[in-house]
Amino acid sequence: MILLYDGSFEGFLSLVYEVYYEKLSVDAIVKEMPQTLLFERFHEVFTDEANARKVLEAITKHFTKEQQRTLCNIFLCDTREHEMALLEYIRIGFKNPKELRNITNANLFYIQNLEKELLSLVHKMYGFTRFEELDDGTLYAKIETKFNIMPFLGDHFAKRLGNIPFIIHDIKRSLAFIKNDEMREIRSIASFDAPIYSDEEEKFKALWKTFFKSAAVESRYNPKLQKSWVPLLYRTYMSEFE
Amino acid sequence: MKTTMQDKLSILAGSAKYDVSCSSSGSENNYKTGELGCAHNSGICHSFTSDGRCVSLLKVLLTNVCIYDCAYCINRVSNDIPRAAFSPRELADLTINFYKRNYIEGLFLSSGIIKNEDHTMSLLLQTLRILRHEYRFNGYIHVKLIPGASKELIEEATLLAHRVSSNIELPSSKSLALLAPDKTKEKLLSPLKHARDITMQRSAKPISMSTQMIIGATGESDFEILKLSSSLYQKALLKRVYYSAYIAVNNHKHLPVPELSKPPLLREHRLYQADWLLRFYGFSYDEILSENQNLDIQFDPKTFWALSNLHHFPIDVNKAPQEILVRIPGIGIRGALKILQARRFKQLCFEDLVKLKISLKKARYFIIAGKDFHRSMSLYEEKIKLALIHQGSNVIQPTLFDTSIYTGEL
Ligand code: SF4
Repeated sequence: MILLYDGSFEGFLSLVYEVYYEKLSVDAIVKEMPQTLLFERFHEVFTDEANARKVLEAITKHFTKEQQRTLCNIFLCDTREHEMALLEYIRIGFKNPKELRNITNANLFYIQNLEKELLSLVHKMYGFTRFEELDDGTLYAKIETKFNIMPFLGDHFAKRLGNIPFIIHDIKRSLAFIKNDEMREIRSIASFDAPIYSDEEEKFKALWKTFFKSAAVESRYNPKLQKSWVPLLYRTYMSEFE
Repeated sequence: MKTTMQDKLSILAGSAKYDVSCSSSGSENNYKTGELGCAHNSGICHSFTSDGRCVSLLKVLLTNVCIYDCAYCINRVSNDIPRAAFSPRELADLTINFYKRNYIEGLFLSSGIIKNEDHTMSLLLQTLRILRHEYRFNGYIHVKLIPGASKELIEEATLLAHRVSSNIELPSSKSLALLAPDKTKEKLLSPLKHARDITMQRSAKPISMSTQMIIGATGESDFEILKLSSSLYQKALLKRVYYSAYIAVNNHKHLPVPELSKPPLLREHRLYQADWLLRFYGFSYDEILSENQNLDIQFDPKTFWALSNLHHFPIDVNKAPQEILVRIPGIGIRGALKILQARRFKQLCFEDLVKLKISLKKARYFIIAGKDFHRSMSLYEEKIKLALIHQGSNVIQPTLFDTSIYTGEL
């Protein structure tokens, strides 16, 4: 059977609920109605907060903190198929949590690797995210990343930037992490006015480019190696690569 | 002296770039609510320059003016080059502004010797004081301790920094005498010993320290170099030794001629690999090399060791403990951990290893996995060598070979 859900975390938990209580046998989980349906049986799961909460409570009871974190992390990998593997993960976890470390199971190995991929992206973006200073002193960063890593970046920079207000703007997902005296939260944003930069912004960008150029050793010139560390798709908002 | 910040930065970053003893890893999370800056326990790279090296810290000299004349150094007094100096405040402001924009993890501050050692160390210290006390900056700071500066200055700098270092420059006292007569190994290491002692008085953990050695300017063998590194690690003096392939910048009768020499990058790479074997894989320097030997160019140090010690093989991946697993060529720490995790659930065969994304390219000749082992080849050094060469695992990819400096997977 093919299951359709709305792509939200609550939606997925509602789906888990139905799979357990209606004893559904699942062949695929999709977020959008497929164009052509041949002979498969098809069922749409509606997000149900009460059901979702029940599943969440059961998970909190049965799974370790670390395993719960894995569940959330995998869900942030929103551009990669992960629902079937995640369902399997939950099933195995309810049966025998020790078995979750069995990486000879293809689904569990997939999850372990996907989580590593997410965390390595997070680590990269801790370094590659660039802030620009706005005229009111707020720091503003634009990002485009293959997974939704906003919660990680928000925490990380909240620790570093002290009292300085900042905004991290996920362009593709239309999300922003906003931190200032009044709030610290992720919001979805419909529209965003073109920002006004501080007078000093250009000066420091130019100094940064100078530093970046001067720090390279000519006799070790190796653009291929550089590219393997900073693939082109990360460079959009890094001024040193303009 | 040049005046604009652009000029200064270009000169003073340019003269600091040959120093590689620079990474921001291995410091604790230390954030304080409302203050600027926090170090991260695994180093963060903020960019990579066109030579493929990680940019983590604002690495500059406070000044490239120097009263000394070390033969291998671009900043030596006898060189006719543009000179510049930051004021401590200029540099502190630059650091804060770069940090806010997330260009850098922090500051790596070094300097040529201006007037004398104490004067130089005081200027460095002033910069640190502005950053730490005035701006309440908690981000990463690595400062070079100036050998010969007074103990009080060394002490204050040590207490304000995350990491301190002093470069031993050349791998033997003989070479130092020849090329940097003002320096001796004892003088270069003494600020590090002092820094260790004062931090040990305050807490159980000494401050993290590193050093750099220039490779290929002088005639020491890799054996001598690894022996020196290993003794520095054993005395718990240093966390890292960095190796820097000598880039000929000066003409000198005891140095390679600039026009005719290239930096020995492959040798540097092999030394980093061997250094990982010392620090993380439980090898001792005299297992890796024998007296006066150099590291093999064709094979990485672990494969080379395995080939000369075939009596330890084949290793049973279903039984061997971690410290033995990591001795298998082609299996790194990550691979060993996967094997340990997976074999609790089933007896592993070759196919299982492949599914776990463990490369068997090299490893297959050295292991048994259940019923699987490499049948067509018995354990003869020459045969395995030929097979490894034949499959091209000895071919060094010149563009990518720097990678293992960071990952250390062999
Ligand atoms: S003391 Fe340092 S900066 Fe001065 S010449 Fe020697 S190595 Fe260069």
